[in-house]
Amino acid sequence: MSETLRPKDARILVVDDERVNVVLLERILEQDGYTNVRSTTNSEQAVALYDELEPDLILLDLHMPGLDGFAVMERLEPRIATDTFLPILILTADIRPEVKRRALSAGAKDFVTKPFDRTEVLLRIQNLLQTRFLHLRLNPELATEGQAT
Amino acid sequence: MWRRYGDAIYTLVTFAVFGFETLALGALSISFLLGSTTGIASTPVEGVLLATLTSTASALALLGFFLLGYHFTSSLRDRWHAEQLDVWTERWIGLALEDTPADEIADSPTPRRLPRAAVDAVLSLLEVVKGEEGDRLKAVLARHGVDRLLLRHLRSGHLTARLDAIESLGKARLPQAFDALLSLLEHPKPVVRRMAVRAAAGTLATMTPEPGPEGPGGRFIQALKGASVQSGVAQESLLLLETRAGAVLRDLLAEPDLGDRLRWVVLETIGRLGLADMTEQVAAFTVHHDPELRAAAFRALHRLAAVPEGAQASLLDSLEHEVDFVRVQASHAAAFLPAELALPALEPRLGDDSWWVRRAAAASMARLGDDGVATVKRAAEIHPDQAARDMAVQILLEAGVLDPAAARLVKGVA
Repeated sequence: MSETLRPKDARILVVDDERVNVVLLERILEQDGYTNVRSTTNSEQAVALYDELEPDLILLDLHMPGLDGFAVMERLEPRIATDTFLPILILTADIRPEVKRRALSAGAKDFVTKPFDRTEVLLRIQNLLQTRFLHLRLNPELATEGQAT
Repeated sequence: MWRRYGDAIYTLVTFAVFGFETLALGALSISFLLGSTTGIASTPVEGVLLATLTSTASALALLGFFLLGYHFTSSLRDRWHAEQLDVWTERWIGLALEDTPADEIADSPTPRRLPRAAVDAVLSLLEVVKGEEGDRLKAVLARHGVDRLLLRHLRSGHLTARLDAIESLGKARLPQAFDALLSLLEHPKPVVRRMAVRAAAGTLATMTPEPGPEGPGGRFIQALKGASVQSGVAQESLLLLETRAGAVLRDLLAEPDLGDRLRWVVLETIGRLGLADMTEQVAAFTVHHDPELRAAAFRALHRLAAVPEGAQASLLDSLEHEVDFVRVQASHAAAFLPAELALPALEPRLGDDSWWVRRAAAASMARLGDDGVATVKRAAEIHPDQAARDMAVQILLEAGVLDPAAARLVKGVA
């Protein structure tokens, strides 16, 4: 949880099985001034990292071996308080509407299609974080008490 | 264990070893069969036996060493490749994000001909990033002649090399490879055609749109029309067109000599991509004489969640079509008609001979607001056909309108 409520201090968790994607996203975020980025290529670790980091934003790949993006969101759901806006940004090459619908109903807030454009990714991240922090300002007790239920 | 590289020598050694063993054991068997063995301990037999055993043991030892060595060197090579991949990924990311000036990369540390790990790394990155960053990476491929090398491999007589080149070009999405990929849609091998159409579609998705038959979209359409690819492959390639899909699908549907199979693919893809602005074009096929195309049009309208006014009459007619899968798809699409039109037409379908039609009709009615749910409830209680009552109860259960206890009660009432 971010006490300072500055987007660049946001805690960001990246979950993608492709190491190349993870490194690229880390560099893009780092270059744009985000300093608090954690990542994993093992989706099984996503929940543990979530508990440890309590992120303000999750960048999640949908198609991963073992636990896919849908399963990760399913496991995270009981940990996210219903009155919390925790943005999950999906990174996927799958553009089918039914996939998007399924992801949205599982808790995703926005999508970026691979291959992605750096500017687009950063803008979407910025927008989601702004919404997140506005939500936290409206619910200050969430910012201080932690979001895990 | 089976690998793409080193397969030839592995196969050769395995066959040599087992062939040698077979010959030796065959000789022993023949010598026994010919009755040359008056006693198992006779000297010539012992000799043959000993020779066979020795040769078998040697062969197995050789095979064992080869396998161990093969795995050892393979794992070493894989580890080294992974390390190199990481190193090159970092370098290319630096270049793509302008951390590292292009000249610096082009200078001494980067060999003129890129190693495999460097090419793999840049191709993997091109799968993830586009725009200016992607263009910088594509420039790297061109600067080091990777694009020309891959294009040369496209004409290779070795199938694996050719498939590798197609896969790499599919990742790189290089406009200069587009026509070469299209030409492979006429290749006699289905696997080449399949990979080529995928790679060409991915490439087209990143190319600058140009109208007309001479533009890349037009060339893709002509190549696809002439290609012998399965419907699933054609559909996958159309899905890969991303934001260009709408324009290509519209042009494809407008082609006067488009085959019915490809038309069917186009209708399916429009539905799967949810291209709502093409509803009218899809609706035109709801009166088509071919039941497959007519059903595909209704399935697409169902996915688009819209039935234009001009297609309402044909939908209502199709609910009584002689072919059951047309009735199924029409029943699904009827969920997007006004309730006052749909309900009177769907209710009789609860008594249809086809289980699928009954199910589609009941599901659509349940989606048509309170009136629809009330109609299904009434059918669950008083429909004269047992199958219709059962289906109505099932749909109400699935929709959460009834709980299991209430469903048993309704069945009891019926």
